[in-house]
Amino acid sequence: MATDHDDKGHPNADGASREPRKLDRRDVLKGLSTVPALGLFGYAWKKQREYQQAKAEEVAASTQAPADLQVINVALLGAGAQGQVLTDSMLRITGLRFRAVCDIWTEYNQKRVVNSLKRFKHEPNAYEDYREMLDKEKELDAVIIATPDFWHAQHTIDCLKAGKHVYCEKEMSTTLEGARSMVAAQRETNKLLQIGHQRRSNPRYLHCYNKILQEAKMLGRIVTVYGQWNRGVTPDLGAPERYVIPDARLKQYGFKDMHQFRNWRWYRGKGGGPIVDLGSHQIDIYGWFLGANPSGVMASGGNLYYDPKTHEWYDTVLAVFDYDTPLGPAKGYYSTQTTNGSQGYFENFMGDQGTLLISESEVNYAGQLYRDPNAPAWDEWVQKGYVSAPKEQETKAKSESTAIADVRESVAPDQHTVPVTLRDPYHQPHLQNFFDAVRGKAKLNCPADEAYQTAVAVLKVNEAIEARTRLAFKPEDFKPRMNTDQHG
Amino acid sequence: MEEAKLSRSAMIAIVLLRIVIGWHFLYEGIAKLTSPSWSAVGYMRASRGPFAALFKSIANNPQMLDNANLITMYGLTIVGVLLMLGLLTRLAAIGGIAFILLFYLCNPPFVGYFYTIPTEGTYLIVNKNLVELCALAVILLTRSGLVAGLDRIVHGLLAGRTRLAPLRV
Repeated sequence: MATDHDDKGHPNADGASREPRKLDRRDVLKGLSTVPALGLFGYAWKKQREYQQAKAEEVAASTQAPADLQVINVALLGAGAQGQVLTDSMLRITGLRFRAVCDIWTEYNQKRVVNSLKRFKHEPNAYEDYREMLDKEKELDAVIIATPDFWHAQHTIDCLKAGKHVYCEKEMSTTLEGARSMVAAQRETNKLLQIGHQRRSNPRYLHCYNKILQEAKMLGRIVTVYGQWNRGVTPDLGAPERYVIPDARLKQYGFKDMHQFRNWRWYRGKGGGPIVDLGSHQIDIYGWFLGANPSGVMASGGNLYYDPKTHEWYDTVLAVFDYDTPLGPAKGYYSTQTTNGSQGYFENFMGDQGTLLISESEVNYAGQLYRDPNAPAWDEWVQKGYVSAPKEQETKAKSESTAIADVRESVAPDQHTVPVTLRDPYHQPHLQNFFDAVRGKAKLNCPADEAYQTAVAVLKVNEAIEARTRLAFKPEDFKPRMNTDQHG
Repeated sequence: MEEAKLSRSAMIAIVLLRIVIGWHFLYEGIAKLTSPSWSAVGYMRASRGPFAALFKSIANNPQMLDNANLITMYGLTIVGVLLMLGLLTRLAAIGGIAFILLFYLCNPPFVGYFYTIPTEGTYLIVNKNLVELCALAVILLTRSGLVAGLDRIVHGLLAGRTRLAPLRV
């Protein structure tokens, strides 16, 4: 630098001065000169917060019950990832008031959900013990249960017996005894019990079932179904030290350690592994769309990849179900693996007149139909809006292609789409159906005795893998036996 | 040879640069602090390049991830405040450069890398992170806090009646 002072003896651009000098008024002013920028930032940030708050209040106001709509007092029991997903959906539903949140992970999950509810003007009380919550929260109308599977039965039964309606996540229980006792408690208390097979309320699935399969019978006779849910390798869930639950509390609630608490889905007796977590949703649809429960199941599975000490259930499963549908026998193939996410998840119903490829996703496999070239025309259903007009086929082979089609190659089927999309979170319609039923304005789309049948089919897969043989179902297996044997 | 002297307008521009970078850091930090579920896990799991293994191992270790999240949230906030105030300016610039270097190296726009995370522009080696990093290098070297910022007062106070030690450049 050339000099360190300007002509008045103050520091120049590089800020240094060669001569010792007093800190004068000008130095103080220049020193403080950028503080107003921080004030401006504070003002802008305040405005931003006010805007966000106003938007949150707008959403909260839009979900306030009109005068003629009953406000439903809700508690969330289980505030983990699934509990958060359900909460996000419920925040968009009109006429709900969150009164309580219960989770044993008070250090993290409970706080997170309570804080997110407070942003939307709810003032829930926080509990670690659900029994204390049921004792104190007398105004509750409904409890949403998203705890680990092995807690479902006890939580559901106690909530029903406390006079609450219950929405419980699938799978109903890790055991059929548990699932049966839930059905029994529902019948005994005459309260509502909806199980979280949320595709049952998805408008696209409902459209396919009611219009495409039942009314138009566009697939003809479904002979085979194939479905899958593939997921890539995922590391185990963990928790930083500052959020670790003390051992005594973990043991009190049935977990041997924090790893088991965070990864309960992989542990026997706590969850059912991928075939239950993932497959349950889709095998439920097999039975619904085919109009039948399976008559038998064969399955192969194994823990091929993960450490068996921490992943007690099978990471790879293939199951083959036999169905005796009203139209004839059918096979249902289902595959899940958790070591590769190839092609994600979908269900593909293959009939002698067409194919329906569907999934819950709005991005992939969001409802495609293929008409077999020999099937009757679908013009009527296109005109009625049940399916889109067929996609126009290419008239000429690409000129650059040197491939020669074999004369035996099938003519490509017409491709249509299902013209129904869901703009809301995937769980919202099923929760809405539950709350409509609480208000007496709807029937449950997945009541307990319906979900029980799915639990019977799904839980049998793990048994079939171990048995290494085909296991048969009897029709009475799908009817929950009550009274003397309800507790196994 | 006489060294180039920064003009008054050049120094004003550098002070402005320091303030807007500080603003950016501060809001990035505060936005993360006030978000109930922000985590760097997604950004680090998507890492590629020579340091991908390191970033992924941090993402997969809950304790290290928690530390990384805390350091990022509070670090960005503190660097932002210091830059805006012109307080400990050189230290703040070094901190800011370190943060941005980590962000850059986590997901570098090198030749042959294809990201599926949407970005607001298209980049080849140089992206906005790198531009901001270079801007912080300018701030580091020009000591603008001594011209307009609390550093001017702090230096004056620390030196007692002698405001500043001679600066040798």
